[in-house]
Amino acid sequence: MSTEGSRERFRVDRSGRRPAWRIACRTLGELLVTAGLVLLLFVAYELWWTGLTTRHDQHKLVAALRQEWARGVTVKDPPVGSALAILRIPRLGRTFMFAVVQGTSTADLIEGPGHYPGTAMPGQLGNFAIAGHRTTYLHPFYDINELQVGDPIVIQTRTTWFTYRVQNIPGTTARHEEIVSPDDVAVAYPVPDQPDPGKPPTLRVLTLTSCNPRYSAAQRIVVHALLVGRQPTSEGPPPALAGERLRGL
Amino acid sequence: MYAWIWRRLPGGIAAKTLSAIVLVAGLVVFLFLVVFPWLGPKLPFSHPTVHGRTAGAASMSTRLGPAVRSAPTMPEWIAPNSA
Repeated sequence: MSTEGSRERFRVDRSGRRPAWRIACRTLGELLVTAGLVLLLFVAYELWWTGLTTRHDQHKLVAALRQEWARGVTVKDPPVGSALAILRIPRLGRTFMFAVVQGTSTADLIEGPGHYPGTAMPGQLGNFAIAGHRTTYLHPFYDINELQVGDPIVIQTRTTWFTYRVQNIPGTTARHEEIVSPDDVAVAYPVPDQPDPGKPPTLRVLTLTSCNPRYSAAQRIVVHALLVGRQPTSEGPPPALAGERLRGL
Repeated sequence: MYAWIWRRLPGGIAAKTLSAIVLVAGLVVFLFLVVFPWLGPKLPFSHPTVHGRTAGAASMSTRLGPAVRSAPTMPEWIAPNSA
């Protein structure tokens, strides 16, 4: 048959070897399929594996923080990469709990939500600003866009529970939720969106930043909250957490 | 390419299959532990921080640290001229 004959003609040349162009085509095809599989693996790495490593880091950070608290010493200037507080946001899940690390470098944010160094500490006058991943590394702020005015954000330190509530920041243009460009550092000023960062702050603000939209870093999504309550840890969890299942307490 | 590798694996079908699995597993481990952790932060998927225009997302980490240590009250990145 003629088709059989032509197939034979392509399969081997006179020396009994496959023609070079066939080998080249097949190798190219194999490399492309391999590249596709590697890309799929990379997606699995980003969306799943990074969460596993962050979960592991979080367990270690929470354990270290509890040890530190048990020793009864508050570290005034926590080293970069160490945990400084526990963050709970009931709107993001009844068991939502993350140790906040000091620092916002790539390496810090792999461990969990990171506190912008130089911004206020929990409960202080000024802006306690935290960055967190949206889609990778256990995606702490995946549903940050779900936060509504009035939602509590609770920060636990060694001595104190701080309750912030999501809202517009009075006296500024800062809305409770903003979509900004990645270089809009004004959201983390001591007074958010206040052009003069040297002006002394009079409010106790909490700011969360994350990527926007999901799976992109084209913009930043920002949520602002104001301190509305504080109580010593000896008094137990604040009313904002009433009825919540408090993991790791 | 894969046929070429397959022919060079030693032993019978069983031994070839076993070594092929080991090779693939080794490659996946290498990707997950070395290549992807290096590659991930370089891609524009996941940069949750705000930072000055002068600092790239990747260089932010190195810039922020020293700036904060030298000036704890007013870090470089938060200065108005970087906004």
